Amino acid sequence: MTPAHLPKDLVLAAVRDLKRRGVDDGNVRFERLLHESLVVERSQVQSISLSESAGIGIRVLIHGSWGFASTPHLTPASVRRAASQAIAIAKASASINRRTVRLAPVEPATAVFRSRYQIDPFEVPLSKKLDYLLWATNSLLGPKPIKRATGHMDFFKRTKFFASAGGAQIEQHLVESGAGLEAVAQQGNEVQSRSYPNSHHGALAQAGFEYVKQLDLVGGAKTSQSEVLHLLRAEPPKAGLTTLILAPTQVVMQLHESCGHPVELDRVLGQELSYAGGSFLTTGRLGTFRYGSDHVTIVADATAPGGAGSFGYDDEGVPAQRVELIRRGLFVGYLSSRESIARLDHGRSGGAMRAEGWDVPPLVRMTNVNLEPGEATLEELLHDVKHGYLLATNKSWSIDDRRLNFQFTTEIGWEIEHGKVGTIVKNPLYTGITPQFWGRCTGVSNRESWQLWGVPNCAKGEPMQLMHVGHGAPYARFDGVAIAPAK
Amino acid sequence: MIGHAKLLDELARLVKRSKADATSVCAESSVYRVSRFAYEAIHQDLVQESFTAYVKVIAHKRVGVAVTDTFDRPALSRCLEAAMEIARHAPPRKDLPPLPDGYEEITTRDYAASTAKVTPHRFLTTLKRLFQYCQGLGAQLAGSFVVGEDELAVVNSSGVACYTASTVCGAKLVTMYRALSGFAGGASRRIEQLDLEALLERSLKQSLHRREPVTLPLGAYEVILEPEAVAELVTWLGYIAFGAKAVQERTSCLAGRMGEGLMARRVTIVDDGNDPAGLRMPFDHEGVPKQRVALIERGKAAGIVYDTAYGQLYGQPSTGHALPPDEVEGPLPAHLIMEPGTMRREELIRSCRRGILIPRFHYVNGLLNPREALMTGLTREGAFLIEDGKLKAPITTMRFTQSLLEAFSHVLGVSKERQLVADPAQDPGCAVMPTVRLARFRFTGRSED
Repeated sequence: MTPAHLPKDLVLAAVRDLKRRGVDDGNVRFERLLHESLVVERSQVQSISLSESAGIGIRVLIHGSWGFASTPHLTPASVRRAASQAIAIAKASASINRRTVRLAPVEPATAVFRSRYQIDPFEVPLSKKLDYLLWATNSLLGPKPIKRATGHMDFFKRTKFFASAGGAQIEQHLVESGAGLEAVAQQGNEVQSRSYPNSHHGALAQAGFEYVKQLDLVGGAKTSQSEVLHLLRAEPPKAGLTTLILAPTQVVMQLHESCGHPVELDRVLGQELSYAGGSFLTTGRLGTFRYGSDHVTIVADATAPGGAGSFGYDDEGVPAQRVELIRRGLFVGYLSSRESIARLDHGRSGGAMRAEGWDVPPLVRMTNVNLEPGEATLEELLHDVKHGYLLATNKSWSIDDRRLNFQFTTEIGWEIEHGKVGTIVKNPLYTGITPQFWGRCTGVSNRESWQLWGVPNCAKGEPMQLMHVGHGAPYARFDGVAIAPAK
Repeated sequence: MIGHAKLLDELARLVKRSKADATSVCAESSVYRVSRFAYEAIHQDLVQESFTAYVKVIAHKRVGVAVTDTFDRPALSRCLEAAMEIARHAPPRKDLPPLPDGYEEITTRDYAASTAKVTPHRFLTTLKRLFQYCQGLGAQLAGSFVVGEDELAVVNSSGVACYTASTVCGAKLVTMYRALSGFAGGASRRIEQLDLEALLERSLKQSLHRREPVTLPLGAYEVILEPEAVAELVTWLGYIAFGAKAVQERTSCLAGRMGEGLMARRVTIVDDGNDPAGLRMPFDHEGVPKQRVALIERGKAAGIVYDTAYGQLYGQPSTGHALPPDEVEGPLPAHLIMEPGTMRREELIRSCRRGILIPRFHYVNGLLNPREALMTGLTREGAFLIEDGKLKAPITTMRFTQSLLEAFSHVLGVSKERQLVADPAQDPGCAVMPTVRLARFRFTGRSED
């Protein structure tokens, strides 16, 4: 839909202009995003849309204060006007700021990064994508209680060119693909849903159409149909303290809310207080606080192949990294930016600054926040569980403003009796306190069952920015967890 | 600001060029300035200029939608071509409703020049004063300030041509003093009605309390929910219950219960995009004028909102609640209003022997069991234990898990004062809510460090 032109000259001229105007630091970022979305419902195409967004954002630091402005108009005059706005904003802020921004150093890179894919999803004929999606979604239908069957595919192509006053020139081309199904069944007053392969559009990867083909939507539809019908006549779990095994499709949300967000260093420093809140992982706890048991090692890995939170360089020109957050239960690291890490006098940025698009400045965001695999198989995790539950696929989520008290429900659960997975339970709800919960982690499954999922709608910031992030997750077992029916 | 003449002209030109059987173009344009601050420094300050045009074409019963963020003729033309290309490959759809027709309007009734012209200098001068005031008290201040201009226009091939321009401003202030924090937020179309000093005073009142926070046992409590807290619950209800899609899928707690008493008779909830108490929006993304829809009338399930597609499905006219054409959530309410009661807020507190005052909630989620409107969430700043009609002590963070239908079935009082609740940096919608006193609200957890 958009001319493929990458306006490097315009960006580089803008950077020269910023330097002439004497900014302390600054960068100019061009972004173009193509998003194709296909949604089918009840054998009908609900929506097919293609959206295009392109523009230039300019971020400057003057007298220790930030300013940001942007323009969708790719002309020298518009870009100069945006630069003037950004400079004026920074100068105005500097007039009242009592603290000046310091930045951790970064080597200016000249690089081209292209994410890997085999089949360009935008080159696959629309009719082929639709046929497959309709086939898979129709496989959910049939039994009378199924009231809705929905299928979706999403494809993203993001092109970026970043240049900084420090001399960086970085071109990035990122392709993502995702797909999924959901069945909603109803009988009397009972309504249940089941998603495949994950809820909340979680099957999203930095990959081409080959990822969608690997998902086996048709095979998954049969399982989802059977499970959602079972849920209509299932009993809820018994309330009490029990052993839980979370499937990777729920570990994703547990990681996201109780680890990913509280390790964002800008949040820790108070910069999200007016919206999303703060964090219990305060700077004084770095390196000393016991976050979880020895089984718990969590990393932020922006280099993970296929991760929805992977990239070559962040939006400050810092190279993608693998940062340890929790090492065998000990809290050892943050997601950070050049500014936030400098506040801690803690070396170099962890490279987690990303913006949703060209019209907003970057924030500290999750990359791929992954629970590292252990050595057990799922069968070994189950083996010594006398009574407990296996829970899968997130349904609802909530956590307090310091990321301590959480409560989740999942779409489905299974009772575990003497090491065996048994009957399906409906409406399972579990709750806990973050470090107590992770402290009761008694096992994590191995690489074989480890899965990398995406979260395409991680919300943060004002104006709200929705970010694509990833989570690698194995099965994980926790003892002494409070479970109850959601009622 | 693009202006009505240029925007409508460009959209009409595009519709005219289209070779489709029917074409609708909806465009949103805005300029926002958003400043965020924490601990005596502005850490983010930006101007966000955005434009989005949604082109929807119908050709031989096939629909195509394309979206562009660029406002110029070549980009709009490419967008139209992309929509046509999609329609060519899309399968034909059954029961496609015709495009809405015959509505023309140009309004700037909610555009305040004073808001549009507010200078950064004016905000910074005020913020500096607020910082200094807090420093003098030994308190700390964080928050955000937003001021913006919006335009929405819809033109279609059936004669719709409508345009609205408006301004908005808002602020959120979090104050912190020792172990306590307070919050106050406000929004208005007019900058002169946004009193930052008054917001600061409200926030400080919560954070400067002399008592340390107390931890309460879990269980059911009488609660007094202030407008922001009520708005969070009712907005979730709007999302899971008041739209025609949720009713059609029977996930809504109103499905099959229309006319039944679901709440106390004191509760009446409507959606009204034209009520001047809210952030008015005269029409929706299909160019249909917004209707006032009674959703809960004296406790009984009374209605739901429709767009043209769901209206046709139910044999009803659209109520003017369509989202942009690339959204698949179905029609949703965006201007929820609860009717006021007869008591003053202070009377509600005075009449409470033992309960909890809750100014706002954190991270409410209503997806636990939508049929019962079961929700969870947490208290945040400014929650106080009430004893014998007086604020006794602040409380530590508590989690509720509660069916909203059950909670709103035992209403002890509704205030006559109401407050506009909106967060313009995040969402164009709003709610106008009173303070509500409920007999029982179930707390199931608490935060511990």
